[in-house]
Amino acid sequence: MKSPSWSRRDFLKGASAATLSALAAGHARPLLGAQASAARRAATADTVIVLWMAGGMAGTETFDPKRYRPFEKGLPPDAFLSTFPSIDTHVDPIKFSAGLEKIAGVMDRGTLIRTYTAGDLGFILHSRHQFQWHTGYAPPQSVAAPHIGAIIARTLGPLNPAMPAFINIGQRFDTGESEELKAFTTAGFLGSEYGPFNVPFPHQAADTVRPPGGMTPGRFEDRNRFFKRLLEKSPVAQAGSDFQRESLLRSYENAHRLLGSPAAKAFDLSLEPLESIRRYVPDYEPGRVYDADRGRGASAALSGYEERTVGRFGLGCLLARRLTEQGARFIEVTTEYVPFLNWDTHENGHERLVAMKKQIDAPIAQLVRDLEERGLLDRTLIVLASEFSRDAIIEGKPDNRVKDQVTIPEKIEEPKHYGMHRHFTDAGCVLLFGGGAKRGHLHGLTADERPCKWIKDRVVIEDLHASIFHALGIAPDLAYEIERRPFYVTRDGLGRPILDLFGA
Amino acid sequence: MHRFGLLASFAFALVTPSLLALTPDQIARLPAPAARSVDFAQDIKPILEASCLQCHGRGRDKGGFNLDDRTNLLMGGDWGDAVQPGSSAESHLIALVAGFDQERVMPQKGTRLTADQISLLRAWIDQGAVWDPAITFARPPPDNLEAVRPELNGGKPDDHPVDRLLAPYFAEHRFRAPRVVGDRVFARRVWLDLIGLLPPPAELDAFLDDDRPDKRRLLVRRLLADHGNYATHWLTFWNDLLRNDYQGTGFIDGGRKGITPWLYASLESNKPYHQFVRELVNPTPESEGFTKGVVWRGTVNASMVPAMQASQNVSQVFMGVNLKCASCHDSFIDDWSLADAYGLAGVYSDDVLELVECDKPTGETAAPRFIYPTLGTIDATATRPERIARLAEIVTGRQNGRLTRTLVNRFWQRFLGHGLVEPIDEMDKSAWSPEVLDWLAEDFADHGYDVKHLIETIMTSRAYQLPSQPETERSQGPSIFRGPTVRRMSAEQFTDALSTVSGVWNAKPSTRVVDNHWAGRNFSPIRAALVPASPLQVALGRPNRDQVVTLRGSIATTLEALELTNGAELSRRLGEGAALQVAAGDPSPAALLERLYRTALGRKPTAAEARIALPLLAPPLQPAAVEDLLWALVMLPEFQLIP
Repeated sequence: MKSPSWSRRDFLKGASAATLSALAAGHARPLLGAQASAARRAATADTVIVLWMAGGMAGTETFDPKRYRPFEKGLPPDAFLSTFPSIDTHVDPIKFSAGLEKIAGVMDRGTLIRTYTAGDLGFILHSRHQFQWHTGYAPPQSVAAPHIGAIIARTLGPLNPAMPAFINIGQRFDTGESEELKAFTTAGFLGSEYGPFNVPFPHQAADTVRPPGGMTPGRFEDRNRFFKRLLEKSPVAQAGSDFQRESLLRSYENAHRLLGSPAAKAFDLSLEPLESIRRYVPDYEPGRVYDADRGRGASAALSGYEERTVGRFGLGCLLARRLTEQGARFIEVTTEYVPFLNWDTHENGHERLVAMKKQIDAPIAQLVRDLEERGLLDRTLIVLASEFSRDAIIEGKPDNRVKDQVTIPEKIEEPKHYGMHRHFTDAGCVLLFGGGAKRGHLHGLTADERPCKWIKDRVVIEDLHASIFHALGIAPDLAYEIERRPFYVTRDGLGRPILDLFGA
Repeated sequence: MHRFGLLASFAFALVTPSLLALTPDQIARLPAPAARSVDFAQDIKPILEASCLQCHGRGRDKGGFNLDDRTNLLMGGDWGDAVQPGSSAESHLIALVAGFDQERVMPQKGTRLTADQISLLRAWIDQGAVWDPAITFARPPPDNLEAVRPELNGGKPDDHPVDRLLAPYFAEHRFRAPRVVGDRVFARRVWLDLIGLLPPPAELDAFLDDDRPDKRRLLVRRLLADHGNYATHWLTFWNDLLRNDYQGTGFIDGGRKGITPWLYASLESNKPYHQFVRELVNPTPESEGFTKGVVWRGTVNASMVPAMQASQNVSQVFMGVNLKCASCHDSFIDDWSLADAYGLAGVYSDDVLELVECDKPTGETAAPRFIYPTLGTIDATATRPERIARLAEIVTGRQNGRLTRTLVNRFWQRFLGHGLVEPIDEMDKSAWSPEVLDWLAEDFADHGYDVKHLIETIMTSRAYQLPSQPETERSQGPSIFRGPTVRRMSAEQFTDALSTVSGVWNAKPSTRVVDNHWAGRNFSPIRAALVPASPLQVALGRPNRDQVVTLRGSIATTLEALELTNGAELSRRLGEGAALQVAAGDPSPAALLERLYRTALGRKPTAAEARIALPLLAPPLQPAAVEDLLWALVMLPEFQLIP
């Protein structure tokens, strides 16, 4: 009997595990929609980076500033729409809120949407709106809906075969509402091959692609060689070919290939020059631990968590740049949703936003500049977004208000009540850079007085997703089959790309 | 998720014959009939299947028009005749597919017919609309409902009934069943399939040395009597099916309720299956989590309100049919309708439910009823508790041959790789061996719905003991049954096997398993199913329990391999395990190697393997070396696959 020899098999030439699983029973098959062939048009982006402002980023405090009134005792809450003055950006009519000067300096490279409106899901929950933003569907769903990153990974595959197609930076799963976070940070029915490669702490990213803790590269290679020799002599390995065994070995080869590839070095931030890191995280100190305090709580001042986590998002952006250089397909970098922390500003809104802006301003602007300098911005679509916006008074939408979650005093006597403490869903901001998006462009108009809702060019999630897919050359009515039913990559296949966002 | 419901439904009835008649000018512009003899099966059937049957076939009759067979075709629809055999120019069907009138073109959804297809249809009608009577598009009535007891007349009388019933099947497919697998393979299969653990070397040796002729049956019985390990292993299976043992807040506001203590105790005591199901369908406070479903805070899609979740989950888990399509609109892939899904939901609902089609209220309501009225009816005027009690009676009654068949099929799929019916949640379809399915189901019911009896029956058949069949990626799926297929360990099986080999078990069970009233209970060892899903288990496929999961992915993935190559959890367990193994103080490297091979693979190392591995273990014994050996062992396909 001819025995297939493991050692001679060239796994690098073999189909990737992704191809393999796509062919196998039980995995979702693509059903091409009517627009699929049209989408074969030249894509304008190969890579997508989502910068996720988890917790509800107030548009009026960031990229859509309105009437500002500084804090004073006894101020009625309807006396201000923004708690920061406006600043100029590099694009004449577009103003930002103070604290975002660096991003304002690259606005000429981007497109700003001010009219993203989130779904009406009743009582407003971060878990459900984050689910809707990431899957395009309102929860709950009767099948496990995939994250947009998984859809892209499944549809386009990795850009560099050694690089995981969907990399998720800065998200832990043991924070509040943990299971709900997992409910959308998943490949769902597409199968875990397309799921997120999680890097919860960017400063430890190298560990995710290194030999396990404490193991030298030499020992790691020895261990691998030892395994292959044992495998070769294993009586079962000589008993003929089987699909299960081959898929097991092939997945192992893929993993090993990633660990040994130049792509793996992209995960190692210690290879980045110090001055370059400091452009992302100005007070970066080598060796400092940028992890998150396990405690949670809604203290008025910066909590221990926020003090320790400052810099984590910046390092995440730097990591995103390095991964993009090595051919990543989809990356999400999140400021991480933790109840009452980060963008979840239920109180002390003004002071908290000073810190949040400090956290995001430098790294986002630097990411845009770095990618541009490296000639990568044209083929990389950066999408900054949040699950909804905020307002000082309105919870939900003006015409569909829902139960309030925080109490707003009639007169603001203390700074902790000065800010955007309620969830507002009728207009929020999305920023796009690169990947074919227009430069220095504004899409959508919002009201100048409360309610600061959209008044022109409303953007909904399926159209935003369709636009991202458009840049990648994916049709909005592409569907995957699950339980013999079609599951469209935008809700019911109805998403339409917003062509105004793209072009010269 | 589906846009079928958005289909513009121009009623066919509105189209009157006079409006359909073609003008002479239009007739002249029609594609000419194909100038050849048309064959129904070759030329026409594909057109009908591609363009017509979605609305007019498989029992569907939009506009009163159905073309399941020639008789129905000739009966026409609400507007009158469809075809005039011999005269295509006067046939309304041709007028409609020609599409001169944009408002009245067929098909209404999808691609228009091509000129060539119209030519073929014309020629076919002109040639008399001949229809091969053997071809019908009618959907066969649902199979596997009534209890059926097949005659045991094949094979040899002394053989296992399953094998007697398979004898004609094998003969028909000219397959001569090979010898059953050896004792070692059999032992590995039953240990992993029954209690989810690797065979301990001493017990394996005792089994190998046993010379009683019925030692395999005795082994199965002995393992079935290990109530604790049996319950822990099957907890995983049922947690997936009943979407139990979730983590997190349950979507806030007490939106979910776990049933683990009830479930564990039910498995441990081998609660008869009809009673088990009765307590889930018509629950006590301990078991109500299943039908209570997930209560989301805020507004949810009408198809996902708790009563609809109960409808979908009761149907899928116990009856093996999927009502998810029919929860939004009449299904396009099978015969389930919105009214079926809402009828069953109505049993659980406090209020009369209004049918909502794709989030649009229809104004209609559905009377509470069971999805298969032939199995039993429910008095719509009864109170909610009465309706639920009646539903439980129907689902668990002896007349319901579907309940038993569905479980038999799930077990067969688990143990042999593929179901007797595939896909496993389409139990309306016929089995490849109805005799085996029916017999096992009846035997199961006859034995008081004893789940362990069913497992023993399957495992003592020759069919289960046949050598596994290699599959290629193309041959995945049922073709001809020749024996079980190689299976991959589940996340829980792998993690437990890793614990067995390394000696490192979990520290404490999840609080969801051991709630207050179980506080004093001693679980030992604490196995993977009893702890929250770890990153390693998630990578290996342990699902989130937001939805019912009846089948886990079977394909090894790169992310999983990464977790196995440098994941922190595996690495920690191997490190701790190596320290334990070194401390075990084996008399020689060879003894250590042999012990590890026997524990991990159920055999001694071969001479060739020993030559490779022993240099690693040369004195002084290094924990790192043992760690690397442990890693290599658990990475071997021989370790990870169930033979």
